[in-house]
Amino acid sequence: MNRLPLSAQVAAVLLPFAFLPLVDRNAYHLDLMTNVGIYVLLAMGLNVVVGFTGLLNLGYAAFFAIGAYTYALLNLHTGCPFWWGLPAAGITAMLFGFVIGLPSIRVRGDYLAITTLGFGEIVRITFNNLDDWTGGPNGLLGIDRPVFFGFRFSVNATPYYYLTLALVAVTAYLLFRMIRSKFGRALVAIREDELAAGCMGIPALQVKLVSFGISAFIAGIAGAVFAAKQTIVTPDSFDFVLSVLILAMVVLGGMGNIWGVALGALVLGVLPELLRGFAAYRMLLFGLIMILMMIFRPQGMLGGQLIRRELGRRPKEGSDGAA
Amino acid sequence: MNSRRLALAAALLVAAAVAPAALAGDEVRIGLAAPLTGDQAYIGQCVLHGAEMAVEDANVKGPVFGSTRIRLVPLDDQHNPTQAVLAANKFVADPDVVAVVGHFNSSCTKAASTIYHESRMAQVTPGSTNPEISRQGFDTFFRVCPTDDVQAPAAADFVRSKLGIKRIAILDDQTTYGKGLADAFEKRYRSLGGEVTQRDGITQGEKDFTPLLTKIRSGKPELVYFGGIYPELALILKQAAKVGLVTRWMGGDGVAEPTLITLAGPKLAEGVYVTRLGLDPHTVPTAKDFASRYEARHGEIGPFSAYAYDAANVLIEAIRRAGSKDRQAVLAEVRKTRDLPGLLGPVNFDAQGDAIGKSIGIFQIQDGEFRFIEEARPAAGS
Amino acid sequence: MEGALDLFLQQLLNGLTIGMIYALIALGYTMVYGVIQLINFAHGEVFMAGAYLAMTALVFFGTLATPLPVWAVFAAVVLFSVVGSAALGAGIERVAYKPLRGSPKLTALITSIGMSFFLQNAVMLVYGAKEQSVPDIFPAGRLEAGPLSVSLLQGVIFAVSIGLMVLLTRFVRHTRTGKALRALAQDPDTARLMGVSVDSMIRLTFVLGSALAAVGGALFGMYYGSVNFHDGYLAGLKAFTAAVFGGIGSIPGAMIGGILLGIFEAMGAGYLSAEWKDVFAFVLLGAVLIFKPSGLLGENVPEKV
Repeated sequence: MNRLPLSAQVAAVLLPFAFLPLVDRNAYHLDLMTNVGIYVLLAMGLNVVVGFTGLLNLGYAAFFAIGAYTYALLNLHTGCPFWWGLPAAGITAMLFGFVIGLPSIRVRGDYLAITTLGFGEIVRITFNNLDDWTGGPNGLLGIDRPVFFGFRFSVNATPYYYLTLALVAVTAYLLFRMIRSKFGRALVAIREDELAAGCMGIPALQVKLVSFGISAFIAGIAGAVFAAKQTIVTPDSFDFVLSVLILAMVVLGGMGNIWGVALGALVLGVLPELLRGFAAYRMLLFGLIMILMMIFRPQGMLGGQLIRRELGRRPKEGSDGAA
Repeated sequence: MNSRRLALAAALLVAAAVAPAALAGDEVRIGLAAPLTGDQAYIGQCVLHGAEMAVEDANVKGPVFGSTRIRLVPLDDQHNPTQAVLAANKFVADPDVVAVVGHFNSSCTKAASTIYHESRMAQVTPGSTNPEISRQGFDTFFRVCPTDDVQAPAAADFVRSKLGIKRIAILDDQTTYGKGLADAFEKRYRSLGGEVTQRDGITQGEKDFTPLLTKIRSGKPELVYFGGIYPELALILKQAAKVGLVTRWMGGDGVAEPTLITLAGPKLAEGVYVTRLGLDPHTVPTAKDFASRYEARHGEIGPFSAYAYDAANVLIEAIRRAGSKDRQAVLAEVRKTRDLPGLLGPVNFDAQGDAIGKSIGIFQIQDGEFRFIEEARPAAGS
Repeated sequence: MEGALDLFLQQLLNGLTIGMIYALIALGYTMVYGVIQLINFAHGEVFMAGAYLAMTALVFFGTLATPLPVWAVFAAVVLFSVVGSAALGAGIERVAYKPLRGSPKLTALITSIGMSFFLQNAVMLVYGAKEQSVPDIFPAGRLEAGPLSVSLLQGVIFAVSIGLMVLLTRFVRHTRTGKALRALAQDPDTARLMGVSVDSMIRLTFVLGSALAAVGGALFGMYYGSVNFHDGYLAGLKAFTAAVFGGIGSIPGAMIGGILLGIFEAMGAGYLSAEWKDVFAFVLLGAVLIFKPSGLLGENVPEKV
């Protein structure tokens, strides 16, 4: 499999998912899997900062929110169609990524957690309070659905599913290219030992900033898709719990591993639905499962593989964890 | 090792796809969507209990048509619009579900309404008061509770004209419900020439309001209007006493719950005005019976349980009249609901699905109980 | 006629009261972080459990035929709460964090998040989702000092919080065990070589942190008069913010951070807008971190090459 060109590898992993709407017409399943697709995008995006660069971001939902509101506002005020709104959302989120990245990267590791958490809360509260701009707690409604060569998306999740799948494929491909590039190696070098990386001539500050930007861009894109699918955006969709959930997906799937975090997103996205039969015990079990998964597989489901495979080192035994 | 995990994940997915088949037999299902876990869990569970009682009462009387009985299918939306959409899709995908009581929070109801509309499935909300929802033009949407733009202006009229109060402060809890109520109140109150010394917000789930209340104290308002729900108002009343803020208080149906009096204590709750739809369940004979039965099972009667009961009944009666499991037929019957006897007065819907023919009652807490003061109808043109 | 100074002092007092409670919770975060570099997300739930335990005890004492004196009830309630929460904290450590000691930090973080969900829902299932009323045992007296009015309970909160912080500082500075803790935080390998039992020290850290959070929880429940299973989430978030603000790993930092955060919030709500007060708190935090990247009292440990 490793001998195939990258695009073929990516296609091979994702192709089975393309068949889902053909074999299963259940609206609920499609809706769920589309949401999962959005989570996958978010997990991949967060992975750039947390997995590749080794920085902790506890406010990732803010970029997701910024993307969603950007498309919503552009669409409602200027009639901007989705296909323009999508990159606009990504770019706006990316700019905010730079803005929050700048002061944050000077700050030591775990302090970053707080500044990013703070940023997440600031964004959510701001969207909630600026009634005249963002609709306040009511949010914005009536957002246009995408129109694809004359075909208008509807409530049916299927076209969104394919859209998300396509975005996942493109994002995965680009991320694989990135991690194998010089820039990607710089990220990993910074993660492993920032000081040494600096001594080797890697401009740590700039690299971290770009990493933040890329991560934010992906969240922005996901946000636009989300807004176009729900047709409403409200601040309560973008809370700290979501940021934490995405982080859990990244860690659970195996930090640094692109398919790993996608798998993490799949599992944590589907799990609450599978647990619905347990009614009030659902979230209790969800927490319990998270705990158990971490205890039994601390490096995450597909963790520990990145450095081995990507940098051609001999496989190392034992839990060297954040490989 | 890793491919095993992938296989496991895939297996789980397949299992979800071939989820348990519907229970065979003579059963028609009504969905119930509410926040059963999360920060509004208590209220969501009260809604569930109210609807459950309606379904039980109906089944006790016999099959709703033929030999078919009703089953309530609850789904949790956790006060999260994304989950609400998922739950809506789940209901829609279940061929036995013909209609839904839900959701509770306005943001969730709004998000889910497109799904129900597209699937031509009737949706009756027991507690979403945001006016925008019925303005979307969805003929599948109904509500048994008042909208914010009816309740709040009526309260404003009362405060300005009846109580003669000229200066007030307004607080809201920054949710769709609370802010909507407060906005509508403010607009009306100002148009009547009243003065608003302060307008501020709190966060649901917060405990400490002493700085805010101290600030309000400086403004010396004659009354403070609160758009929000009872847990926060109970805390506010207690803390207002602590910081020496002496003023009158008024809220909407979100605070018109006996638990408010329990939490704040009858002394501090004394004199608080509220608006609610219709009459106090404890005073209407059928409702009184409901109240005592509910209390016997679940303890204190909760917020919106009576609304949930009525909402479920709307659907039950519609199913009865339709005599089938066809969603469109049931929807048509829901539209035709006329003077259905409800715990909170007869149920009627207007063309947009809003509850009509119900008056807003102004109540005041006296001696540890809600006492009816008067009926209020906002002046025409509000 | 209320002067501006009076208002200011009153707001300060408001902020101090909640700040003390934040400080008590923040201490738990900072101590655990200092020793095992873990941000224990479940700590907020330990605080919440403390509040619930206190409520349960208070309700129990309320059912006694002969009422005991207020001070006895208070002490018993706090003790009950402390014992319960300390056991909970130690239990969490043993079950969820100990197995992950060699693993990446983020793994334990996620576990703590899972534990937080678990505990919140466990309490909801046991006690019900409803907001619960906490019986009030304190006489209604207030101490009036000029324009300020302090309630008895507020006074108790100040006294107890400050007392505990002083005790903790002395413990950490002057007792053998305390020094062992500090040694462990500074350099685990050397500490081990010097005979410090890592397991016991870590457990002790959790026990102490949880005990403090429990006291905070008991006071919190009594002060606000009601408890809700969701309380731990918000309070925990703020306390964590305070701990980082003060310099994570620094005990005096957590105390100062908590108190200052309470004051910032009160000032923000009182003078600017209650709607935006959380934003102010975070912006202020961000500003401080720009100038003092390790927090107020955090150590600027230079990285050795």
